[in-house]
Amino acid sequence: MQISGKYFAIIILLAGSLSIVSCRRDVTVFGIDDLTILPINSEKNKPKTSAQYISVLYTNLFQRAIGPNDMLSAQKAIESIGDKQIAYDILVSKYMNDPTLVLPTNEEMRADPETFVRNTYTRFLIRQPTEAELAWMLNYITSRPNVTPELIYFSFATSNEHFHY
Amino acid sequence: MNRRKFIKQAGTVIGGTLASPYIMPSGLMSLSTTAPMAEHVVFVLFAGGVRQQESVLQQYLAGSQNENVEGNIMYNMLSGAPPADKIAYGRDDIQNNIIGAIPIDRILQTPLAEQGTLFPEVRFSKGGAGHYNGLSTGVSGNYELSQSLRARPASPTIFEYLRRHAGFKATDTWFVGVDIGGSRPLLNYSEHADYGRRYGGNFLAPLTTFGAPGMKHFMDFKNYHPETEWEIIREIRGFLNQNFSTEGLEIPHLYNTEEEAYQIREFVRSTFEKVKANNLILPPVNDNRDLKAIGYAVEVLQWFKPKMLVLDLSDIDVCHANFTAYLKNVHRADHGVGFLWREIQRIPEMQNNTIMIVMPEHGRDLAPNPIQDLNMWYAFDHSTGNLNTRRIFSLVVGPGVQGNLRVGSEANPVGDASDIVPTIADIFGIKQQVMDKGLLDPAAMSLFDRI
Repeated sequence: MQISGKYFAIIILLAGSLSIVSCRRDVTVFGIDDLTILPINSEKNKPKTSAQYISVLYTNLFQRAIGPNDMLSAQKAIESIGDKQIAYDILVSKYMNDPTLVLPTNEEMRADPETFVRNTYTRFLIRQPTEAELAWMLNYITSRPNVTPELIYFSFATSNEHFHY
Repeated sequence: MNRRKFIKQAGTVIGGTLASPYIMPSGLMSLSTTAPMAEHVVFVLFAGGVRQQESVLQQYLAGSQNENVEGNIMYNMLSGAPPADKIAYGRDDIQNNIIGAIPIDRILQTPLAEQGTLFPEVRFSKGGAGHYNGLSTGVSGNYELSQSLRARPASPTIFEYLRRHAGFKATDTWFVGVDIGGSRPLLNYSEHADYGRRYGGNFLAPLTTFGAPGMKHFMDFKNYHPETEWEIIREIRGFLNQNFSTEGLEIPHLYNTEEEAYQIREFVRSTFEKVKANNLILPPVNDNRDLKAIGYAVEVLQWFKPKMLVLDLSDIDVCHANFTAYLKNVHRADHGVGFLWREIQRIPEMQNNTIMIVMPEHGRDLAPNPIQDLNMWYAFDHSTGNLNTRRIFSLVVGPGVQGNLRVGSEANPVGDASDIVPTIADIFGIKQQVMDKGLLDPAAMSLFDRI
């Protein structure tokens, strides 16, 4: 069948119109909500009571709960010294002399320092270290042969973050 | 030196003192700061609520038990003959089974009232006669009329004034509490926004620190090397604290420097060694808590030579239920104060360079309660509103303090319980700065200005 030039032009015109209508795209505009970026420890904004601190400290160091009588006398001892940083330093120093303290060995720490650091952050600060923190700690451990798990535990146990929740 | 020359020289010195700025220990210079009268002050809060009748009035049993026996049982502090009969305030005569029959030997040949100035009728003029109110008024110079007991003072304490305005470091100022009860651990700094923990004094309750709790949790604590192990701890802890950057969230420390913190730890370690060796400095008679606390206070004085130490005693408070024990503890508190003054003179840095102030935190009731002791003597409380609880005394002794002077009388009371803070500020040359802050009780003024 032959198609005249007139009909051909009409068909072309219709096809062109349809293609224009059907190819119109939906336009989507993406936005960004404002978000305040906080350090990962920023939600710890409440100081522990001496009972809370001693309880958590004891559990972290000995992997068992402190008894009620020991808790009461530890609280009294802490209360008897005004500067609490000094009081807690002495308390932790005393606990570090206890043979039942649960502490990784120096060999274990140096065999896998990253695992040691991650476990220490988890144990005391209930979080993983940031990449920057991990890098600093690994560098500190590997560059200083005198650093021991005990000194690292002491530092974490008496840090400001460990005192807050 | 003739009189004219003396007056001329004295005038030059006084004029220079008034006109010249004094450079404080911190290196700060202030025109309103004058040269200190002494390098050290020891303030004794004496000693749990004492009645005028058994102290400055020397009435012994005549003022309380309707027995005609008078006399002075505080002969290290006050002038006057001791009772001649019914001796029950001394050490027990075990051989003859007589309670308190042997008076304790005097320590000071010259009573402190003769060495210094006695204000025999001072007033605890506001609020209830409670221990916390008394102690907090003593250290803050302000009556805390509407404050709960388990809170720090609302007004700055003398520790904060001295650290902020005189530039004292933390170990220059100490509060030695007889124990941790009665909110004593809260009295070393206030809640005031302009002062507070940043300027707090060190606190120690030695009977707890070196008693059973401390023996369990502190004694034989590990001795880390200060230049190797502690350096590592400081570096790691510093890194951790730097990352925990939320402002103000820190373990509540008192801004002791690293060196001061080391000295405090070493003091604790050394004192435990003395405890174990039974080698503490103690008064000759030390059979109550107050006397042992005084011994520990002397240990603090010897170790730190602090510029100011506040010591509170409390055994007199047995008077609620036992008048005989009260008399014994009044006698012992006097013994302890005499011992304290003698030991201060044995510390070279503090000898002839220390002013001691003694003031009860409040008095006790005029009328007894119904409780009788083994001598059938009645006990006394300290009740709110009882005028006898408002009667106290102040005793000041040391360099520059006029000796053998009594200021005031029952008919003409002179002095207020809030006076001690401006008096200490006066001694250290910062009186005007403290007064200008306007945070003292309106009645408070230096005792030296009341003479």
